Amino acid sequence: MKLLQKTIRSYFIYSVFVLLVAIPVFYFVIQQIVRKDVDRDLLATKELLQPRITEAVLNNTTNQVIFFNQDISFSISISTYTREIDSLMTVEIYDSIARQTTPQRVLTSYFTVNGKPCLLQVKTSLVNNNELIKSIVKVQVILLLLLLAGFFMINRSLSKRIWDPFYKTLSKLHQYKVEKHEPLALEKSSVYEFDDLNQSLEELTNRTYQSYLSQKEFTENASHEMQSPLAVFQSKLELLMQTAPLNEEQAELMGDLADASQRMARLNKSLVLLTKIENNQFAEVETISLNQVVESYLQQYHPQAEDKKISIFRDIQSEISLEANKALIEILIDNLLRNAIRHNQVDGSIRVKIADESLTIQNTGTSIALDPGKIFQRFKKDSKDSNSIGLGLEMVKKICSIYHYTIQYQFSYNLHGFTIRFNKS
Amino acid sequence: MKILIVEDEKELSKSMATYLQRESYTCDVAYDFKDGMRKIEIYDYDCILLDISLPGGSGLKILKALKDDKKLDGVIIISAKDSLDDKIAGLNLGADDYLPKPFHLSELSARIAAVIRRKRFQGSNVMVMNELTIDLQAKTVSVNNKPVDITRKEYDLLLYLVSNKNRVISKNAIAENISGDSADLYDNFDFIYAHMKNLKKKLTAAGCGDYIKSVYGMGYKFTI
Repeated sequence: MKLLQKTIRSYFIYSVFVLLVAIPVFYFVIQQIVRKDVDRDLLATKELLQPRITEAVLNNTTNQVIFFNQDISFSISISTYTREIDSLMTVEIYDSIARQTTPQRVLTSYFTVNGKPCLLQVKTSLVNNNELIKSIVKVQVILLLLLLAGFFMINRSLSKRIWDPFYKTLSKLHQYKVEKHEPLALEKSSVYEFDDLNQSLEELTNRTYQSYLSQKEFTENASHEMQSPLAVFQSKLELLMQTAPLNEEQAELMGDLADASQRMARLNKSLVLLTKIENNQFAEVETISLNQVVESYLQQYHPQAEDKKISIFRDIQSEISLEANKALIEILIDNLLRNAIRHNQVDGSIRVKIADESLTIQNTGTSIALDPGKIFQRFKKDSKDSNSIGLGLEMVKKICSIYHYTIQYQFSYNLHGFTIRFNKS
Repeated sequence: MKILIVEDEKELSKSMATYLQRESYTCDVAYDFKDGMRKIEIYDYDCILLDISLPGGSGLKILKALKDDKKLDGVIIISAKDSLDDKIAGLNLGADDYLPKPFHLSELSARIAAVIRRKRFQGSNVMVMNELTIDLQAKTVSVNNKPVDITRKEYDLLLYLVSNKNRVISKNAIAENISGDSADLYDNFDFIYAHMKNLKKKLTAAGCGDYIKSVYGMGYKFTI
């Protein structure tokens, strides 16, 4: 959730809550007030009519009682019983003119004239009142909503202005890359906390850059320090090979030593390369045709594939161009193809498919699926091949994560396959 | 022919010097930046083997000084820093070749020979050993003046053997020379035997002596 959303959210929830509670309460209160007013009118009318009706009943001229009021009507009838208390109630009555039932407020009053129980009903329609209440509530709701909307807009723009330096700092941080280390050049703001933050960030990036530099230096030194003794070892061994006479046993031992030193040299080279990838030392980006890189490595490894009688099938359906570091993409393809050849069998096959922003390299090999959770880890190798170092797939994964490519291993129809998706977003 | 080795790792310098002296090169050795600078100012060399990280300064500075003085010495950078930057910087400054450590001495010897040939012989460049003639310009091989039809791989292999004649070249070195970094993809060294067998067959069929000898357990040797 964004910062601005977070601050506004509490206000929003409270406002909606108040609105939801206030509208029914408001409606109910107004209704009560109006109802009381209507009831008072009805009672007043009853007080007014009662003496006249009493007189009319005595004179037997009840149908001549006239009361002029458009809203209030009344009826008199002889009742069979009498009650002390008047009753007030809302009744739905069918209106023959409007052809629908309308709510009416009815006051029923009993009284006795000459010992005869009489019933007086005074009623008034509530339709107009209800309309009025609805209108008032509507206006009120609109006003409240306008108020809320205005409040949000003002609050939002105010927050935006206040947090502006923060967002500027954030976007600068996003662009910051330690291997390039351009100073952040953060603007001064009027808020103490932001200035403090900016200063801390500048110090932090400087420190990060310093440790990046020393790490890089360490990698270089480590590679130098390890490769020199290796070079000495290899050269001495080669000189030893020139000495004579050598018997078969000595020659064989020397041959084995040469193989081991070669492996050490390769291991060292791969480790140095992996560290360099981890250190983001391949930062320059250019446009690369993936198809070309794949094709050139297929050509390069053709003799090795031929040596193992491996057939290569190409299924090129699209052209993929990548914005990436060329060396990294070459390492990526190189390692995948090497694995496809190394872990293959004699008379096996390799399938290379480029389609829909993805590259799939499948190869025959062992008939057991590899453990997808382990294959990308350093020095996890299933192969008994001593030439395999166990760093290739880790490099592949590192490179994929640098460019946000996804890589997946799948095993189907006895084919081990790796699919890389180059999502262009 | 004179060679200067500028390398602070004394044992490595010694190995290089010992190996190269057998090829009748005269080797000078410098162990640090100052000594290297002094030697290139005083003498001219056919080839300089230059390490980049040296005590007292960068080997690239020595290279720059050489080029500023318009000296024609061939330069091969031998660097432990297996970094593209060094390679590009070195080649841009006018180095003739770049060889990352660790390397095979036989590979170094072949590269030195190539650099010196390029510097020395501008025009025709032919190597004659008894009945065997290698035309380095045209990249052709002939025996008793009759051309032998060999593949590019076989030619490279022969040149590599000849550049290290009378010395044992390890299988690893040959494999790396033939297929570079992808040498480790072969399950075994059978592919070397195959190439070597073809080369020997073609040469002996043309009447060439059997100079290529396999050395048990280690590799091959071109004996002449």
